[in-house]
Amino acid sequence: MARDKEKRSCGQVWAEWKAFVWDPRTRQLLGRTASSWGLILLFYLVFYGFLAGLFALTMWVMLQSVDPHVPKYQDRLLTPGMMIRPYAEGLDVTFNVSQRHTWMPYVHALHQFLEPYNDSLQAARNAACTPGRYHEQPDDGVPNVPKRACRFNRSSLGPCAGLGPPHSETYGYGTGQPCVLVKINRVINYFPGANKSINVVCAAKDEEDAALLGPLHLFPPNGSIDLMYFPYYGKRVHVNYTQPVVAVQFANATAGVQHHVECRLRALGMRGEGAEPQRDRFAGRVEFRLRLHRE
Amino acid sequence: PVQNMTSKFPSGPLAKAAQVLARDGPNALTPPKATPEIVKFLKQMIGGFSILLWIGAVFSWISFGIQLAQGAESPFDNLYLGVVLALVVILTGIFAYYQEAKSTNIMASFSKMIPQQALVIRDGEKKELPADQLVVGDIVEIKGGDRIPADIRLIFAQGCKVDNSSLTGESEPQSRSCDFTHENPLETKNIAFYSTTCVEGTATGIVINTGDRTIIGRIASLTSGVGNEKTPIAIEIEHFVYLVAGVAISIGVLFFIISVSMRYKILDSIIFLIGIIVANVPEGLLATVTVSLSLTAKRMAKKNCLVKNLEAVETLGSTSVICSDKTGTLTQNRMTVAHLWFDNQIYSADTSEDQTTQPFDQSSPSWTALSKIVTLCNRAEFRPGQENLPIMKRVVVGDASETALLKFAEVILGDVMNIRAQNKKVAEIPFNSTNKFQLSIHKTDDPNDERFLLVMKGAPERILERCSTIMINGKEEPLDSEKAEAFQTAYMELGGMGERVLGFCHLYLPENEFPDTYSFDTDSMNFPTSNLCFVGLLSMIDPPRSTVPDAVSKCRSAGIKVIMVTGDHPITAKAIAKSVGIISATSETVEDIAKRLNIPVEQVNWREATAAVVNGMELKDMSSQQLDEILCNHSEIVFARTSPQQKLIIVEGCQRQGAVVAVTGDGVNDSPALKKADIGIAMGIAGSDAAKNAADMVLLDDNFASIVTGVEEGRLIFDNLKKTIAYTLTKNIAELCPFLIYIIASIPLPIGTITILFIDLGTDIIPSVALAYEKAESDIMNRRPRNKRKDRLVNEQLAIYSYLQIGIMQSVGAFVTYFTVYAEQGFLPSTLLGVRVNWENNAINDFEDSYGQEWYQRTYLQWTGYTAFFVSITIQQVADLIIRKTRRNSIFQQGNKVIWVGIFSQIGIALILTYGLGHVTALNFTPLRFQYWFVAVPFAILIWVYDEVRKLFIRRYPGSK
Repeated sequence: MARDKEKRSCGQVWAEWKAFVWDPRTRQLLGRTASSWGLILLFYLVFYGFLAGLFALTMWVMLQSVDPHVPKYQDRLLTPGMMIRPYAEGLDVTFNVSQRHTWMPYVHALHQFLEPYNDSLQAARNAACTPGRYHEQPDDGVPNVPKRACRFNRSSLGPCAGLGPPHSETYGYGTGQPCVLVKINRVINYFPGANKSINVVCAAKDEEDAALLGPLHLFPPNGSIDLMYFPYYGKRVHVNYTQPVVAVQFANATAGVQHHVECRLRALGMRGEGAEPQRDRFAGRVEFRLRLHRE
Repeated sequence: PVQNMTSKFPSGPLAKAAQVLARDGPNALTPPKATPEIVKFLKQMIGGFSILLWIGAVFSWISFGIQLAQGAESPFDNLYLGVVLALVVILTGIFAYYQEAKSTNIMASFSKMIPQQALVIRDGEKKELPADQLVVGDIVEIKGGDRIPADIRLIFAQGCKVDNSSLTGESEPQSRSCDFTHENPLETKNIAFYSTTCVEGTATGIVINTGDRTIIGRIASLTSGVGNEKTPIAIEIEHFVYLVAGVAISIGVLFFIISVSMRYKILDSIIFLIGIIVANVPEGLLATVTVSLSLTAKRMAKKNCLVKNLEAVETLGSTSVICSDKTGTLTQNRMTVAHLWFDNQIYSADTSEDQTTQPFDQSSPSWTALSKIVTLCNRAEFRPGQENLPIMKRVVVGDASETALLKFAEVILGDVMNIRAQNKKVAEIPFNSTNKFQLSIHKTDDPNDERFLLVMKGAPERILERCSTIMINGKEEPLDSEKAEAFQTAYMELGGMGERVLGFCHLYLPENEFPDTYSFDTDSMNFPTSNLCFVGLLSMIDPPRSTVPDAVSKCRSAGIKVIMVTGDHPITAKAIAKSVGIISATSETVEDIAKRLNIPVEQVNWREATAAVVNGMELKDMSSQQLDEILCNHSEIVFARTSPQQKLIIVEGCQRQGAVVAVTGDGVNDSPALKKADIGIAMGIAGSDAAKNAADMVLLDDNFASIVTGVEEGRLIFDNLKKTIAYTLTKNIAELCPFLIYIIASIPLPIGTITILFIDLGTDIIPSVALAYEKAESDIMNRRPRNKRKDRLVNEQLAIYSYLQIGIMQSVGAFVTYFTVYAEQGFLPSTLLGVRVNWENNAINDFEDSYGQEWYQRTYLQWTGYTAFFVSITIQQVADLIIRKTRRNSIFQQGNKVIWVGIFSQIGIALILTYGLGHVTALNFTPLRFQYWFVAVPFAILIWVYDEVRKLFIRRYPGSK
């Protein structure tokens, strides 16, 4: 083959190439006539049209079999995870007390997050449920009956409720006593604690850090979460569901130090440290970093 | 001149010999330069797709480095990926190297030669020396059976004959004497060549050349000067690698640009690029090809074709021209009696390899007389202790013609030695080149007949001169001009068939003149040597192997042109060519036409001649255009009297026509051509080491017919490799689409890079090898050889059909499974679009699904998705395997049990990966709910039905697109 290539000059190669792209003699574009290209295009149009149709059909059939209210399987949701508010990139809550712009985004985020928790809204939308037990609402024959949610009043978060004067309210960020909200992930039909009371505990991850981190105040007291907020029935039927939260206030955290804080849910039947620490590190707990500066 | 030489190189002091030895080096051929093993190994490491995978690995490590520096969460994933990619390259490289080495080792055992000894006169003393210690000027003695230890000029010779067949291709032993007879060293009688054998007689000579400077050495260096051409399959695989690499790189770069312009981070874009490369490269394919080739090589070895170079397995299949040596390849390489002439009639003898009887009419008393001469006037003897061997296989001491006659007589008459013993020999004159006859006188075994019988054989014209009568039907009749005419006609006819003709005559010596006690004196010749009675002619030839004509005609019907290239004489060459069908019965050469029309050769329109016999002397004066013309215009060609260089030129000429050329040969003189050929085929038994070294394949039984088997296997493996590649390419699209859609639609990644490797190197390997066991779909031996420019291993159609049709179908099936898994776990398809950034953000612990639930466990789910996608591809690859089994026939028309092994292994490996290794983090598999195995089944069935319909159309309307 190499022998043939050597014999052809550059000009010949170019001419051949040009003839391949458009051959005026046979009226061929890229080696095919217009009608040939047309047929091929038509074939692929039909072929892909058919495949697209088939795809749509099978997807439609599949979606028909999926219940829009309750997921078919919850294979991966045996233990709910936990999360903090405000959300910080990399779960790294860092701010400078004296520089307003470093913590204002957190304050805004908390304001926004807590808006649905306003006592007035809760009173208007949600029911006062019996504390201390699960608020079960069976369907009683009628599938997917809308469910009522239980009240969670913003005021129960104490100093972290952010109910101060709108202009001076900083959730403690302005004074170096920041609040962080901790919540449990919503999982449909999840009953935590096996009928026993549950609560959230927070602590420094490393023991040496405990003293530097200072005292933590939890709201509601003890970080307890009432069982009446469970189970969750899904966003379609449980429209105004208010996720219970626990606020943690760091009353006297040492400035300039990175604190590792871990909050975990204390409930019976919780899976502890999983077999795979890396994958299960958010099973019933959340780790975040807190670093505040005072300069 | 001999005086001069001896004075120049006194075979004297040992010191002098040592000095010359130091100057010229040992008398041995420098072995061809072997590529160092490490270079071979490294070549495997960077050949083929390896470069692409290395790039992928390096990119992985770079992104690992960057991520590590940035303190990202899990940078080690990329480190592992890089390591895995590098491992894949290294392991497949080691595998290919091992396969290559294994087939080379088979050959290494061949080339080990027994150290040779030479009888040298130094310091006036005879001594045995290892042949490699010989120097120019040494005087050596040789005798029958010895290998000649160097190029020597003879200073004494007695009845010396050498077998030059490995050097010149002449099948007859050449006599050697001290006379200078020709300018050309190859033609002159007083030089014997290194590595040829002395068949009989004794000789003494002066060493004139040693080692690489010998004629053989020069041919060997000519051989090593010939570059190794790439095998057709290597070209095809290269073409395929370029094609796939081109697709991989262009899609990779395109999507790199797209992802950068979609504001992905450069680092992410690089990781996508790695994914695209890994998805596009069929990592397991080259290993599969190697395995398939070596399976075929093994199968061929069972049929006596030993393949040295794995790729050569296929070359034979694409061969369009076979340049075959004559002696030993097409012929049996032994003289055999082919025709007899007595009673004015020519009889044919059986020349097959395993003759036990001779069918011609043996009732005539002339035959009785002739057989007596044949038996008695013969010095050849069987070596003792071979009574149980078939006659044709027994070893004989004696020259080729006498051997032929002895065996001929033994077959017809039985125990020749006993007949000789009963007819006691009383005098003998052995054959010599001046007399050109051999004579012996015997007592007869008839007790009532006291006469002596004088028997004589020799060159027919010389024998006839000595006769005055001729035996017809047992009666002596005067030899008149009419009978002499008949003799001439027969002699010409037999000679014209390329046969060596011997005449036989006898005389019963009158009892009164030669009584019982008469003392015969061979020096004074006190007995009559003229006025004898002519009895008959016997002609001998080195006959074709009985399997060859059939093999040649099979090659013909397979569209392969068989050209004979030999060092032997044109007449012999043409005769053999005719008898094996290289020149078919109806075709004529220019000379034949001239003879038929009775016009001069120059007036013949050479276009009318389909056959041609070209002499080496003519070839010497030809330009390459003229040679091309001959090769183009004649379908049946014989080249005779060719030198090693000319063989090379002929092979090159054929290659210029675009042919894939196979060369068969056994001699040293064939080795340059063997090397130059696309596939060199050496003879395993008769072949010289040089030929075996230069060849790509060795025929263990020296049988030309084995080549036909090879061609068949070669064509089959080409077809099957096509199937393997089609099978492998298809799933590349199903591996690639996830990446493209992941980039464009920002859905969670449907299949991971590691998982792709598990398909390419896990589930798909055994099925693709199983395709190598597929049988031929139609009679592949009735097809023309593939055109190496047009019939590519991977052509546009195959790629488009795999990529754009079946591959897309597979992708659709796999995506349906993927969406099903996600939907049933809580993420409806609408939720998945555009979620990539948050989905992959490890800090977001509360990713919301379609039902309001919050997730941190997304990695698990993603792996479940990988597993589901993997399982779907596997299931659909089963369908792909079934459709690729055949290209035209329906699967109902063709079975292959090994395919079942493929299917079961495929599913078995997938089950093990999913359920057995589902808990090993690094592998990214999770146990999958059983029903997801069946989501893609309808698509698998669709693929099968679609392809059956396509095949139906192909069978109904052959020839159209």
